[in-house]
Amino acid sequence: MMNALRTFSDNLGRHFQKGKPLEKLYPLYEATDSFLFTPGTRATKAPFIHDKADLKRVMVLVVLAVIPAAFFGIFNAGYQAELALGVAPQWTDALLRGLMAILPIILVSYTVGGFWEVLFACTRKHEINEGFFVTGILFALTLPPHIPLWQVAIGISFGVVVGKEIFGGTGMNIVNPALAARAFLFFAYPGQMSGDKAWLAVDGVSKATPLAVLAAAPAGTPATTALTQAGYTWHQLFIGFIPGSIGETSKLACLLGLALLLITGVASWRIIAGCVVGLLTTSWLVVLLHGPHSAIQATLPPHWHLVLGGFAFGAIFMATDPVSASATQIGRWIYGILIGVFVVLIRVFNPAYPEAVMLSILVMNIFAPLIDHIIVEQHIRRRASRG
Amino acid sequence: MQAIRIKKGRTIPLKGGARLELKVLSRPSEILFPFFEFPPHQFRLVIKEGDRIQTGAPIAEDRDGKGIVLVSPVTGVIKSLNRGPKRALLSVTIQVDGDQSAVAHGAVSGDSLSREAVIDRLLKGGVWPFLRQRPFMKIADPKAAPKSVFIHAMQSDPLAPDIGFILEGKEKDFQAGLDILRRLTTGKTYLCFDAATLSKALLGAKNVECAGFSGPHPAGNVGTHIHALDPIGKNEVVWFIEAQDVLRVARLFTDGVFDPKKVIAVTGEAAQGRAYVQTVLGAPVAHLLGEAQKNDARYISGSVLSGTEVGYAGTIGWYHAQLTVIPAGGARKLFGWIDPGFNAFSFTRTVASSFLPKKEVSLDTDMNGGHRAIVLSDIYDDLNAIDIMPVFLIRAIYANEVEEMIRLGIFECAAEDFTLCNFACPSKVDVSGIIQRGLDLMEKEA
Repeated sequence: MMNALRTFSDNLGRHFQKGKPLEKLYPLYEATDSFLFTPGTRATKAPFIHDKADLKRVMVLVVLAVIPAAFFGIFNAGYQAELALGVAPQWTDALLRGLMAILPIILVSYTVGGFWEVLFACTRKHEINEGFFVTGILFALTLPPHIPLWQVAIGISFGVVVGKEIFGGTGMNIVNPALAARAFLFFAYPGQMSGDKAWLAVDGVSKATPLAVLAAAPAGTPATTALTQAGYTWHQLFIGFIPGSIGETSKLACLLGLALLLITGVASWRIIAGCVVGLLTTSWLVVLLHGPHSAIQATLPPHWHLVLGGFAFGAIFMATDPVSASATQIGRWIYGILIGVFVVLIRVFNPAYPEAVMLSILVMNIFAPLIDHIIVEQHIRRRASRG
Repeated sequence: MQAIRIKKGRTIPLKGGARLELKVLSRPSEILFPFFEFPPHQFRLVIKEGDRIQTGAPIAEDRDGKGIVLVSPVTGVIKSLNRGPKRALLSVTIQVDGDQSAVAHGAVSGDSLSREAVIDRLLKGGVWPFLRQRPFMKIADPKAAPKSVFIHAMQSDPLAPDIGFILEGKEKDFQAGLDILRRLTTGKTYLCFDAATLSKALLGAKNVECAGFSGPHPAGNVGTHIHALDPIGKNEVVWFIEAQDVLRVARLFTDGVFDPKKVIAVTGEAAQGRAYVQTVLGAPVAHLLGEAQKNDARYISGSVLSGTEVGYAGTIGWYHAQLTVIPAGGARKLFGWIDPGFNAFSFTRTVASSFLPKKEVSLDTDMNGGHRAIVLSDIYDDLNAIDIMPVFLIRAIYANEVEEMIRLGIFECAAEDFTLCNFACPSKVDVSGIIQRGLDLMEKEA
């Protein structure tokens, strides 16, 4: 069976070689063939031995890490819809309803994004990069469950083409393509995308998100009181049975993913630690220094910031994209900390933008090369002063 | 002794080390003079097929008139000039005679000679090519003034030979060689060895600066030693020589002849009878192994990280003291990407074996993946013992930014210092090849 498959793939492969009719589609063949079988390429020059880890393995692990958040998101989408419809939610019904709402979004994201990926790989004659499997699912999970599928298609197209390919493709992009796609939709269709109301997987039904509750609360109410009164306890925000974007409501599911990323060492712990340090320190300072006329968000205790909005999802899966993050070790700390700082600053001082995490990461994506530049210049100065 | 601990880097626990046992091999019936270490555009052959040649007589001389000659390690007849694609000279086969007389230069005490006279004798005696320089890892320029000289007496590549063992019983010659070499520089002469060595030749060395290195690979690379003790700055040159070749330097002065003896560690999972063998320079791989060729084996002069593939019909390079034979591997496995990897080896924790007790690993030449764009930029950070930022140096090389390459320290680099990055890179990027490309560009610009 295995040999037959191997022979079949080899026979098929002949049509994709140079000078053959399907030559242009070689990257597609390479991707499929190396999905089925390890490439088996032998080293022809030193070093003659190589590490078992390849990009496929790394990206598969990231996708595995996202799966808890995806599963929870699917279930929660159905669950919230049933709540909104006034049905007493059943586990199976909620799951089914969630699958019906979310699976098409993921499929469209993969198909349309994959189309662009293959198109560019074939024109540019380079390999199809497994990183797309991560971009495709991450983008889908940042979307509200009700989103029209044509918007998903437009969003991922923007993310892959403008966010990545025009910069030269994988490895050269400045910003995280999944976030670029999300930001595009946010600014292009603010009515449906902005987070003051979370739209449910039911037509025309929406509910205020925790961040919107804060924005609307009367002055003088402590932030935690306002949230609790609206039915959002810390515990609930942590577990995640709340309306919101598909993959980011459950901090617990995100933490499961984090555990896998840290155990396997795939994500930079410095970035994630930096985000948490930046967020906690800034929010603590804001609580400490806020005056009587400060916004209600300024009274929010630091540990609440951790479970609000997309912070956990963003810090764990989005900020850690190694291409758009800082490429130096100290740089990763600075990059992470500043993301945390910006999240609090936007939440407290510009609550009109509930997507603080997305904006903070995008801003720091753009500043990451500058951070690296400063660190590299310091490195060069240190070398020069060595005498 | 100065003790230096290298923190960055990783040691690959490869299976197939050589037993600490020295086998003295009989004289081979023919030898190969390898040209993969001596680029043909720098040397002109002075012999032709059928010529008789004596040990220590020139085979080739340099084209720049520096007086560097490559000499024959045996007395015999030139059997063939072996050429590869584009008629590039690969090697010269020499049929070995029964009578092994050598060109005599006369015994002399190194102390009585001037620096110029020492250099002159090393050049004429054919021992000069063993002296190399950094930057560029090439034969030292006899007209240059090195700021220091390094004796490279430690290797940390997988299955690397134990230099202390090779020098056993040769303490006197080794010291004599050191005393000659230190006259080549007005600066210091450093002897760098494994901090854990018990070798009398190394620990008892006098008149040189001793430094004991410990830590993971590349703690044994000469680039690491130079960086730690006397880093190369702008317009500076450092010379270095392999410890075993110090004996050759000594013999050229004490006996007045070119000493062709060489100890080679036969290593690698696919080699039987792994031990140290004493033979002559250029002895064929088949002679070292004494066994028939294996179809699925790769024969490497040097280590699996930085060596050169020479094949069963090849020979060991002059700068290598190791033969590594490993299985070729590269079978295509179904759904390899989902294999947890209980028997795999990785620096990362993405394989199950990372969580199992450490043991010696068996690795073949499978690249374990296809080439991709550089995505994970943090993988190289902990693998360099030299204070270099590989990702940014690579970018500068890609962009042909000569100034930026200099500022980022390319003169301190050699391809062999980055082979761990090649090994570990999940995108299978040829990091050391890119560094070499940058160095080639620098050499052309200079």
